[in-house]
Amino acid sequence: MTATQSKPAAAGETRTLTLIQAITEAMHEELARDERVVVFGEDVGARGGVFLATAGLQASFGKHRVFDTPLSEASIVGAAVGMAVRGMRPIAEIQFADYMGPGFDQIISQAAKIRYRSGGQFTAPLVIRTPSGGGVKGGHHHSQSPESYFAHTPGLKVVMPSTPYDAKGLLKAAVRGGDPVIYFEPKRLYRAAKGEVPAGDYTVEIGKGAVRREGSDLTLIGYGGVMPDVERAAQALAAEGVQAEVIDLRSLVPWDRELVLESVSKTGRAVLVSEAPRTANFMGEVAYVIQEQLFDGLLSPVMQVAGFDTPYPYVQDKVYLPGPNRIAAACVQALNY
Amino acid sequence: MIQPFTSDPLRWVSEDGQPIRELPARFTPELLRELHREMVRAREFDKKLVTLLRQGRTTFYAQASGMEATQVGLARSLRIGHDWVWPYYRDHALGLAMGVSMLDIVSQCLGTNSDLCRGRQMPHHFGSAAQNFVSISSSIASQVPPAAGNAMAQKYLGVDEITVCTFGDGATSEGDWHAGMNMAGAAGAPCLFVCENNQWAISTHLREQTASETIHIKAKAYGMPGYYVDGNDIVAVIEVLSHVAEGVRSGQGPALVECLTYRVGSHSNADADAEKNYRTREEVNEWLARDPIVRVERLLEHLGAPIDAGEIAELTRATHREVDEAVLAAEATGQPDWQIMFEDVYADIPVHLREQEAFLRAEQTGTAVGGRA
Ligand SMILES: Cc1ncc(C[n+]2csc(CCOP(=O)(O)OP(=O)(O)O)c2C)c(N)n1
Repeated sequence: MTATQSKPAAAGETRTLTLIQAITEAMHEELARDERVVVFGEDVGARGGVFLATAGLQASFGKHRVFDTPLSEASIVGAAVGMAVRGMRPIAEIQFADYMGPGFDQIISQAAKIRYRSGGQFTAPLVIRTPSGGGVKGGHHHSQSPESYFAHTPGLKVVMPSTPYDAKGLLKAAVRGGDPVIYFEPKRLYRAAKGEVPAGDYTVEIGKGAVRREGSDLTLIGYGGVMPDVERAAQALAAEGVQAEVIDLRSLVPWDRELVLESVSKTGRAVLVSEAPRTANFMGEVAYVIQEQLFDGLLSPVMQVAGFDTPYPYVQDKVYLPGPNRIAAACVQALNY
Repeated sequence: MIQPFTSDPLRWVSEDGQPIRELPARFTPELLRELHREMVRAREFDKKLVTLLRQGRTTFYAQASGMEATQVGLARSLRIGHDWVWPYYRDHALGLAMGVSMLDIVSQCLGTNSDLCRGRQMPHHFGSAAQNFVSISSSIASQVPPAAGNAMAQKYLGVDEITVCTFGDGATSEGDWHAGMNMAGAAGAPCLFVCENNQWAISTHLREQTASETIHIKAKAYGMPGYYVDGNDIVAVIEVLSHVAEGVRSGQGPALVECLTYRVGSHSNADADAEKNYRTREEVNEWLARDPIVRVERLLEHLGAPIDAGEIAELTRATHREVDEAVLAAEATGQPDWQIMFEDVYADIPVHLREQEAFLRAEQTGTAVGGRA
């Protein structure tokens, strides 16, 4: 049990949690709420996961609910599909998003397609949780942002929270929904992101973005690990008298077009931020929809700040990431267009 | 005759260093001392690298303490610079014993300009073309199908080489492992698969990893012989591996050798409290008592050619000096420039990467005009 669970929740009470604590708490509560929920993956049991996201869960719920698997992502994802088809609610952990590769076929061929190819007779509501993104000196096999591969596959929902509140609410929504959800956890925010989380039960609807800051001069859009830097850039711009509206997408599939279009039609400018490599980056889709829907109202081209089209480097870890300066520079470019 | 598919690990020297079958003639005290020296060098390298990690001079390290006999013994069973190796991330004792220089390994761990891998990979993922030692990948078992292909190429090209592919016990659960084993078997490729079974995959014990009694029996399904060896007995490792390597070399097709050993330290620095979390101190102590280095020391005593303590202390000091010098030499070469990020992505730098490079140059020199990367 985590400390936050040991006292009964009073209505309206909130506590400050880190992103990873919120994730642990969401799993704890879902395991308690629904017996069909199980949590499994490599080292998630006694060890509590390499980042300790599942710490204490096996002690609370036993080895039949929270368990270690053999070292095989294909088995983990494939088994999750089978369990879900047979009526369970699996939450599977892939130790690093970089290791979704060996499970990729199971994700795109089985999890994503079983509802469609069976005419809805069989469904696979499951959650695949995985730490992603860079900034932790992990080199290319521990830093990648593979969300675009999954956003490109119909049948999967794809989410990536950046706050503890969203982390808990989105995970609960994912567990309770009817679809396979790829739930990316920006690992550099695990302990860096802290925030208020209600003690009671709540969900965050998948497919809804959030306005983090209101502004009228341009719209800054990001998700996941880049969000703190996006907000820093907005602060820096505010100091120069530029009011940026900041949107956290939270969900990539489906994504909140309405919120984005409403904001960009107000501001006339959009700067999209993602740390994934630029080519075929999910933000390309957002840019496309903005130009298609708002072409006449745009005051500048849609700008995109992304990772470089190189494997994630080890030594250049920090240079690679789009920090606040690079983001703010793109905003200035949009404003001066 | 060395038998495949034995129920107990093959062994020549008992845990307390007594020969339990006739010691092959080549294991002279001179050879045993050489092997001892290589194992101590690898052990002390481990200790020094853990210190570097604590000092924050590198960010990742996976110890191989306890596994030296398996790795040093494997190196001795190969034709170095001739055979090819697809190793995994715990194989620095193998690399050192194959002649990869301390400077090369340390440079990779520090990501300096002297790093042959150019600061791209996380630490402890070196590779060296001079030894045909292919750069290590983090992704478990992803080296197994390529190793099979490397061996298929050797067969196709008609060269007198073999391929060695190493991995841990956990790796044998991955689909890639089975795919690579099957491919090599079907192709009759000269591939020697070596499982360094240290019994734990991070916190997952072999018993939770597979319901199979041993790893080596899995070879049967892929049409190749499987051998079971005491991986802490360097005599057994060399006897079996060189015998099996010769079979592979002579066109008998692939083989799997399971070396039963133990990782005495933590999985990596991310896992410093193994004893607290998932395994018992007693188990670690039991395996410490089977230390492969001490076993050779006892054997040498038995043979009437003991190594004296002063000699070992000097060896330890010499290794520490060697690591220190490598660290200084590596650090003196500095950190690679950001430009190297754009090289080696493709054979030539395509135009979109040139643009991104130009953007970053402008950003670094304060002349950038926007955020487009
Ligand atoms: C495909 C993949 N999944 C997960 C990991 C994370 N991981 C790194 S080491 C490891 C355990 C490997 O155990 P084993 O193969 O037995 O080798 P050992 O570390 O014990 O020598 C895991 C799960 C990874 N590197 N690659």
